[in-house]
Amino acid sequence: AADKIRLIPQDFFAELCEQIIQHLNHKIPGINTAELCQRIQTSGVDINIGDLAKIANTLSFLFSTAARNNLSTEELVTTLGSGVSTLPKHAVQVIRHVWNEQGKAIAVSEEEGNMATVGQFVDMKWKLGVAMSSDTCRSLKYPYVTVTLTVADPSGQITDKSFEMTIPQFKNFFRQFKEMASVLETV
Amino acid sequence: MAALRDGDFAALQILLKAPSKDAVRQLCQECFSSPPAALGPLAQRACPGLAVSAQEAEQLVSALHNLTRHVVYRGFTRAEDILCLFPENFHQNLKNLLTKIILENTSAWRNEAQASQISLPRLVDMDWRVDIKTSSDSIARMAVPTCLLQLKIQEDAALCGNNPVVSALTVELSKETLDTMLEGLGRIRDQLSAVANK
Repeated sequence: AADKIRLIPQDFFAELCEQIIQHLNHKIPGINTAELCQRIQTSGVDINIGDLAKIANTLSFLFSTAARNNLSTEELVTTLGSGVSTLPKHAVQVIRHVWNEQGKAIAVSEEEGNMATVGQFVDMKWKLGVAMSSDTCRSLKYPYVTVTLTVADPSGQITDKSFEMTIPQFKNFFRQFKEMASVLETV
Repeated sequence: MAALRDGDFAALQILLKAPSKDAVRQLCQECFSSPPAALGPLAQRACPGLAVSAQEAEQLVSALHNLTRHVVYRGFTRAEDILCLFPENFHQNLKNLLTKIILENTSAWRNEAQASQISLPRLVDMDWRVDIKTSSDSIARMAVPTCLLQLKIQEDAALCGNNPVVSALTVELSKETLDTMLEGLGRIRDQLSAVANK
């Protein structure tokens, strides 16, 4: 992972670290790896989303372990230095800065936290459409609902999942959610 | 998209060699449902039953596929529209039989076409559970209700052929996020009613 970190320009690396810390602080629901990756690629750097995800995971683990052990900035930097692969200097600088500013604030949080075996729901976007025609049926007029769920996976990384429903499926979907809500009310 | 070709109707008359009306019916259904790439193997299977050459079987299967798909594409629901497709000198009884079979199946075939047209992945199943988190390694006692939702999503049928890939998406929702979801779904419902009333 250290080799790939080398590729990431300093400002993007700083942004990644920021997002990770904010996620650990429960200030944001997750880390927008896909979006960040796209911007890094647009700036001309050849990195794929898998590599960026691994880096994000590693950094997240680093920061959360450091928080649990109450490491000071110097202790953290020393730990980094003694690691098997050496990080590029600019990366260490960013980590030092980010930890100094926000690291102490990562309380071993007194909240229910994320029992992290499943994704956390972040957002839902939807579209109601009517398919007018297709190669199989010239005149369709087939209504359908498209939904995109934004989910933060257990490591905090945000992904989108899109799918379609027929209208009867949608009605069932809605009914199930209303039932879930009413059960949540009563427990 | 299947268009009717000149040789198709000549090939259809090979059906006169079919052993029974049910055999014709069966073949019509198989030819409609089969994607173009699977027509070859279908022809090979049909060959013995019809006592025709391999080449004739292929022409027949292809013609029947084109005819059935064409009718569904055009959305014909009346006998006259289908009968019109046949040339004048086509065997009367066979024409009537084919028209009858097609009319019987056209509604089911249309649904089949809609179900297999290109689309985003489709929701195929949903399961949910409400839990109460009572304790964790950081907090000894709490009572936080939470929802676990599992959606089974099937990737685009057209891309997967006969082995559709179903993936499961498991998501946790809190009361707040569930309310967000409900709000969104309520708006879809309102839009649906508005569209239905136009």
